[in-house]
Amino acid sequence: MDRLFQNLFQFDAPDSIGTKIQLRIFELCTVYFTLSYTWEWALYVPRLSDVVLPLGIANYINVEIFFGDLATVNAILITLFCLIPFLFKKLRWLYAPAFLLFHLQHVVRFSQGEIPHSANMVGIALMGLGLSEIFFRNDIKKSLAFAFGFTVFFFGLGYTSAALSKLIATGITWPSGEHLWLWMGEKSIDILSLTGEFQFNWLQQLAFEYWWIATAILSIGLITELIGFLIWWKPLRPYVTLLLIAMHVGIDLTMNIFFFTFTVQLIIIGFPWNKVINRLTESISKSSTQKTVEQYLLY
Amino acid sequence: MSKHKRIIGVVLLVNILLVSTHSGEFWPFSIFPMFSQTGNPWSRGVIENVQDTTRVNLWETKSIEKIDDRILPLEKYGIHEIDYANYISKTKDWNTKKINGLRSTFQIDDYPDQIWLATRVVGSLTENDTVEIKAIPMFLFTADTTIKNPNLFSQN
Repeated sequence: MDRLFQNLFQFDAPDSIGTKIQLRIFELCTVYFTLSYTWEWALYVPRLSDVVLPLGIANYINVEIFFGDLATVNAILITLFCLIPFLFKKLRWLYAPAFLLFHLQHVVRFSQGEIPHSANMVGIALMGLGLSEIFFRNDIKKSLAFAFGFTVFFFGLGYTSAALSKLIATGITWPSGEHLWLWMGEKSIDILSLTGEFQFNWLQQLAFEYWWIATAILSIGLITELIGFLIWWKPLRPYVTLLLIAMHVGIDLTMNIFFFTFTVQLIIIGFPWNKVINRLTESISKSSTQKTVEQYLLY
Repeated sequence: MSKHKRIIGVVLLVNILLVSTHSGEFWPFSIFPMFSQTGNPWSRGVIENVQDTTRVNLWETKSIEKIDDRILPLEKYGIHEIDYANYISKTKDWNTKKINGLRSTFQIDDYPDQIWLATRVVGSLTENDTVEIKAIPMFLFTADTTIKNPNLFSQN
């Protein structure tokens, strides 16, 4: 167990420039996607008129009062609560209320029946940033490393739990090819509705033609999800990450669903960028200006 | 490291409690159950851009191929296709509020020259293991009226 936690939370060279850059890029990515989703949802919410399916906190409060300007007010608060800690590296506990308000923004926007998962890991990363500052006060090095490991943990858990859900709900016959046919038909209607036109691509046509190809596609996807938890171990992380990214490309090609945010987050957390950066920068001597920039952008 | 363990342990416990009492979803916690159930019929939605309201098969359930060349691209109108699909497929009681909700989502009053047919699309596996997709007309929207499919709804 201790070894697992070391794999999740300990970096080989915690004070190196590479680790600092990787952790700050992880934080930047979390803030960017949080604000991007927050404003996208705030601008859409005024169109809504009725709660079709309450999610999260919307099970306990009527979120219809946010179907208007309050969603924009919420977005302004989230923006401030994310930008202040990110840019000034102070009041970093503001990530905690930012996370709570982000949850609210999500359940207001997705009160119409859809249960999307594209922003789940952004929410997890923001929660990690908020929690880390509560428990590791005024120690940005420790708190960023914690939030990073926290996110890696929930990534692994999420993929494996997705595979287990399939095996529990359907059983070993889940990858049977005709199931893919049915989903491809369903997604084709979503694209038709969105763009007014749709044509199946080469892989979809092959899958429709050969049952065994459709079955192989689903089987590979299920196995990849099942071993997702192996991302927790540092030596395996880059290989598992590559498999997961390949799986997302496969989902896009067959079901026309691309998890862009998941993929970007995987690229940032799944590879040992810190080591690569350290190797690239070890021969470069630093000027005083570079040191000042580093101090401001990093920590 | 013991602090890390405690935090992860508590958050994991909260995660389990929340998802187990909220059908697997309490954002951002989730068991990611999408596509876990297989073989079930599905229901989505499209909007048909209607040119001729007098045609005889207007209200008939038909194969999607018969209308797929005149589907309204929702992205041009800023409407989220999944929201629309959920609204039209999950609503059980089509009362005035629900129908007006659909009208306001589409901002139909802003397009006085258009006639749009809100259509449910259902898909299922046949006995021969092929996918059958059918379009079921629901509501015809014009600038000033909404007409329900007489084959599905009583006239009052």
